[in-house]
Amino acid sequence: MEPDVSIETGSMIRIAVLPVGGSIPHPRFRSYVEMLGRHTRIDLSSISSFYSEHQKSPFTHQPWETGSLRFKFMLGGAPPSAWEDFQSCRKILAVIGLCHCPASPDLDLVADQFATACKAYTSALAKRCFAFFPTDSQLEEGDNKRENILLFPPSDQKTQEFHMLTMMQDLAASLLMEFEKWVLRAESAGTILKTPLDSQSSLGSEEFIKAKKRRLARAQKTIGDYCMLAGSPIDANAHYSTAIELARLTGDIFWHAGAMEGSVCALLVDRMDHKDPLLEEEVKYRYYNVIQLYRRSYLQDNAQRVSTVSFELEATLKLARYLCRRELAKEVVDLLMSAADGAKSLIDASDRLILYVEIARLFGTLGYQRKAAFFSRQVAQLYLQQDNACAAMSAMQVLTMTSNAYHVQSRRNCQKMCPSPQDLGASHADGGKMHPLSIVSLFESQWSTIQMVVLREILMSSVRAGDPLAAWSAAARLLRSFYPLITPAGQSGLASSLANSAERLPSGTRCADPALPFIRLHSFPLHPSQTDIIKRNPQKKEWWTGSAPSGPFIYTPFSKGAISDCNKQELTWIVGEPVQVLVELANPCSFDLMVESIYLSVHSGNFDAFPVSVSLPPNTSKVILLSGIPTKVGAVSIPGCIVHCFGVITEHLFRDVDNLLLGASQGLVLSDPFRCCGSTKPKNMSTPNISVVPPLPLLVSHVVGGNGSTILYEGEIRDIWTSLTNAGTVPIEQAHIALSGKNQDSVISIAHDVLLSSLPLKPGGEVTIPVTVKAWQLSLTDSEFDASKSSSGSARRISKEGSSPLLVIYYAGPWTSPDESNGSGNSVPPGRRLVVPLNVCVLQGLRFVRARLLSMEFPARVSEALPKQIYGENGITEELKSVNQNDSLVKIDPYRGSWGLRLLELELSNPTDVVFEVNVSMQLDSQQTEHGMANFSNEDIDFGYRKTRIDRDYSARVLIPMEHFKLPVLDASFFSKDAQVNNIVGNKVFSTAERNAKAELNASINNLISKIKVKWHSGRNSSGELNIKDATQAALQASIMDILLPDPLTFGFRLGENGTASENIVSPEVSSISDNPTGQPGSRNVALDKGSVLAHEMTHMEVIIRNNTKERIKMSLNVSCRDVAGENCIEGNKATVLWAGTLSDISLEAPPLQDVTHSFALYFLVPGDYTLLAAAVINDATEVLRARAKSDSSDEPIFCRGSPFHVHVVGTA
Amino acid sequence: MANTACFIIVSRNDIPIYEAEVGSAIKKEEAAQQHQFILHAALDIVEDLAWTTSAMFLKAVDKFNDLVVSVYVTAGHTRFMLLHDSRNEDGIKSFFQEVQELYIKILLNPLYLPGSRITSSHFDTKVRALARKYL
Repeated sequence: MEPDVSIETGSMIRIAVLPVGGSIPHPRFRSYVEMLGRHTRIDLSSISSFYSEHQKSPFTHQPWETGSLRFKFMLGGAPPSAWEDFQSCRKILAVIGLCHCPASPDLDLVADQFATACKAYTSALAKRCFAFFPTDSQLEEGDNKRENILLFPPSDQKTQEFHMLTMMQDLAASLLMEFEKWVLRAESAGTILKTPLDSQSSLGSEEFIKAKKRRLARAQKTIGDYCMLAGSPIDANAHYSTAIELARLTGDIFWHAGAMEGSVCALLVDRMDHKDPLLEEEVKYRYYNVIQLYRRSYLQDNAQRVSTVSFELEATLKLARYLCRRELAKEVVDLLMSAADGAKSLIDASDRLILYVEIARLFGTLGYQRKAAFFSRQVAQLYLQQDNACAAMSAMQVLTMTSNAYHVQSRRNCQKMCPSPQDLGASHADGGKMHPLSIVSLFESQWSTIQMVVLREILMSSVRAGDPLAAWSAAARLLRSFYPLITPAGQSGLASSLANSAERLPSGTRCADPALPFIRLHSFPLHPSQTDIIKRNPQKKEWWTGSAPSGPFIYTPFSKGAISDCNKQELTWIVGEPVQVLVELANPCSFDLMVESIYLSVHSGNFDAFPVSVSLPPNTSKVILLSGIPTKVGAVSIPGCIVHCFGVITEHLFRDVDNLLLGASQGLVLSDPFRCCGSTKPKNMSTPNISVVPPLPLLVSHVVGGNGSTILYEGEIRDIWTSLTNAGTVPIEQAHIALSGKNQDSVISIAHDVLLSSLPLKPGGEVTIPVTVKAWQLSLTDSEFDASKSSSGSARRISKEGSSPLLVIYYAGPWTSPDESNGSGNSVPPGRRLVVPLNVCVLQGLRFVRARLLSMEFPARVSEALPKQIYGENGITEELKSVNQNDSLVKIDPYRGSWGLRLLELELSNPTDVVFEVNVSMQLDSQQTEHGMANFSNEDIDFGYRKTRIDRDYSARVLIPMEHFKLPVLDASFFSKDAQVNNIVGNKVFSTAERNAKAELNASINNLISKIKVKWHSGRNSSGELNIKDATQAALQASIMDILLPDPLTFGFRLGENGTASENIVSPEVSSISDNPTGQPGSRNVALDKGSVLAHEMTHMEVIIRNNTKERIKMSLNVSCRDVAGENCIEGNKATVLWAGTLSDISLEAPPLQDVTHSFALYFLVPGDYTLLAAAVINDATEVLRARAKSDSSDEPIFCRGSPFHVHVVGTA
Repeated sequence: MANTACFIIVSRNDIPIYEAEVGSAIKKEEAAQQHQFILHAALDIVEDLAWTTSAMFLKAVDKFNDLVVSVYVTAGHTRFMLLHDSRNEDGIKSFFQEVQELYIKILLNPLYLPGSRITSSHFDTKVRALARKYL
């Protein structure tokens, strides 16, 4: 059988095309053949110039105007067929040699070679050797000598083609003339024509006569064949008709069929242009006859040796090819099916091969792809039965052709054929939900069994054919699509065949078909808060507002209205800044998968992806981070990943896996590779639109001194230095710092000016900004127990993660982008936001346990000097001075004679593991400066207390005297605003309960409380302040009045000089001197203690009463003296003290803010300790005084009592 | 019962949704594959033939070697294809008709997505029983 037969085959002149001489480069040879191949049809009209009629042409009806000669080029020649006589078209009638002159310098050798090659073709009537690109010397010598070698002078393509045309026309003309000669000779002489069908061995006499009879018919048929070859169908038809008649008469069935076939061919060639149904019917009718005749010529006895089945099948195929149209499909199918049935009776395997090939081709032409694929697979199986590489290669190629019909095609071939998956994928992404039926259609033709068989056969054949890439691709498809149906052993086998194929491939080979792993897009991580991008609002000065969601909430109701189409995520990447994408890989197979490298595949060319390598254990999935850097402005789309696995580079598209997963969710695909690896259900991930924008500035922050958290104790104040560096390539021109997060009020100050003064911050520039933080108090909600610290017994509390405040820095580059590429729009390059968490870890520090107000009594001693008790305008000053000189713990003047001395006791405990030192200070904002009095500024006054050291796990108490806070009577600065109180003594205005005054009081209380500061130090550089305001206030609440307000009258005692009262108030200087016994001038007995009194001696004394109010006070004064037992020792039966002067009901009148003195003398009979007490009843007390005394009724006497004074009496009893 | 028989249901999307080797011959994997190949190839012919007739039972539409493909097309263009080597046309017709009733029951199941694989074991048992009965 012959391939590619059609009814017209009978009119084609076969020409063997042979390469001659030195080996021709492959592309060169191909181009020569291509040039030759254009001339399969030479019009008779064009060859008339080469044609010369030597004798009368036998082709009387030659259509010189319309006819043509047809060539069929047999590349590489063909072996002579046994059936040449039967069908002349099977003869090789001409030989063309192709010679590439640069490869074969010696033309003589070429000529010899060509001549030798031609010897094999005895039937050849014309021989030509075309030599291309001859050298000059070759041109010279070859021009005249050899006729057979035709030199094509080197010239351009067009000229050469023209040359070729001429040569072919010449060849056609000479062939035509040879045909004429042959026909004339055949008509006259007559040749014996035989076929293998005729018995050759013994030509018996009977058979000889029979053959003689048949000879004429056969000769007529052959002449008809030559007429057909010569392009004269009418002549041919005439001869065929004769032959048919004669053959029928002689019963030569086989030749009868042959002649009839020839007549159909003549009919068709004659009526080439118009195909009408009538002609078709005629052809069909005749050909069915032909088929019948061939079938009848099948001789059982000959069947072993030679069979006519192939002619029958060829005739069937010829008819099928002629009819091969969609409308006649049924008829063609019947023909082809009967042809396929005939395959069984074909002896030669290669005949069967050709038959199946032809059947497959015809089914393919008919549009029956699956049928064609089926027969192609039969062809491939026949090829595979032959055990050589060429056959395997053919098998592989044939199978590859079938892969489309079985839907296992390599992606390389299907890319242009099926753009639909792309559309489907897109529509899926947009619509989200598809109609179930259209989903089903995505997975069309899931014939997994046969798909696997086909792929396995492709794999096998390509391994045998030595095509590693095809083998790799087939194995990859098999593994990827059908892993659930393959046993673990089979999977490993496929993996090793992948590896084996890869070994034979050059490194870096790409394959269109992805193998493993399965890759799907997991997510696009949003910008980390350090590189957040914010739209700039050019209208606003605060350009960052309203553009990005601020605050901790993902959803803000305000942004909702603005962004309506938020279902399509927008992502902005910046040139030169690395970005990251999360993808999920799955290895559902039972072997370890080593992905040598994987990186994002971006076709837009503006993205540099960084490869990573991953190892996936069996049946696992992994989410990995792929990163890259955008390099150019524009849009970026990421369709998939490039994977280097099993030695080959492949592109894995996310879309494919999405479709697969979609099918899996509908139960249409075998298995979901991710789910079987234990991965969770995918998020509904939509691919965002990614755009790349020009470079932006990039601030990078680090905390000076390490990025760890700063550990602070509660209340500790510390500067945190944050260094900001512009790591981008664009200067920062605008910047703003804001606060966000929890505990914002713990940030005391931010050096805005430092940042602003450093602008514009050039690329690489750095600025360091101090932020002062005062560690906040830990509350139960935002703290947690430090489990690691169990050594100290009880777990201590530390602040929770994330409770630190955040610095939010908005910054932006210049308003116009540096490269003016965006001249088109008014788009402003966006700004950015940097969130710097102030990493503060607050530890529980010194604990404040409680505050108490304590009262104490320190009786004063009577001496010559009056105890300093005056709250004069310079009183405080003086007192402070004296206090400064002292270094006692409790800062009181011991001679003050304090009755009801008040101390604030603070109890502090230290649960930490460090030592704290506590220092109490008063901040005195001396308002006196307004009066030009004291010059104390706001600085803290250290009272010189010793620092209280509190060891770990201990508690300590700190006492704070409250006496310093008593208000002077004339606190004009304090009360001057209140007109009403101007003429009222002291602060009695409070009792009037006027709101105004109340506020003032509260202010003064707050003032008082805020003046008390407890500062602590720990270690070398930890210091802070204890927040005790609330506690102090609570402790002082009850007695705040008593602390703040002075008594209306104060009393003091002193020893009188010679019984005469001193007129003057003791000056402070004296008072201070009196503290120092050595500096005392004196008639006094030096031996005596200061303030001691001798017994049995008249002692002069004075009581001094000071009026602290602004009004004159009338009073009646009583002085009493008590002994140690508390008995009144002046009156009564057992009085031990005698006195002179008045001691009771002394009427005195004290002018406002003045002292009055009353003198008396005492005579102590018994040495010992005595106590002097002064008390007065105020007459006609004012409202203010009453209020101060907290008396309810107006007629109640107002009683005023002074502090007790001690008198130490020495001497003998 | 037929010596070789392979029954397959092909959905309107050309996806096989049910496959069964119902022959009494010893089952060989290669033969089963070949059966599928033949049935798959016959789809082309069925495609054309189905529109030329109003009958559901298309009789034998294709053959390869000794194996014949008989096809029954439902109204929903689901194709029942039987590959067989017997010539019992009436039996095959009855078989197809009964299988269609079973198939309709499957379709009526609200949880069954038309065009997806039939996994019901009940259906499988019934089909095999029918094959024993008619083929």
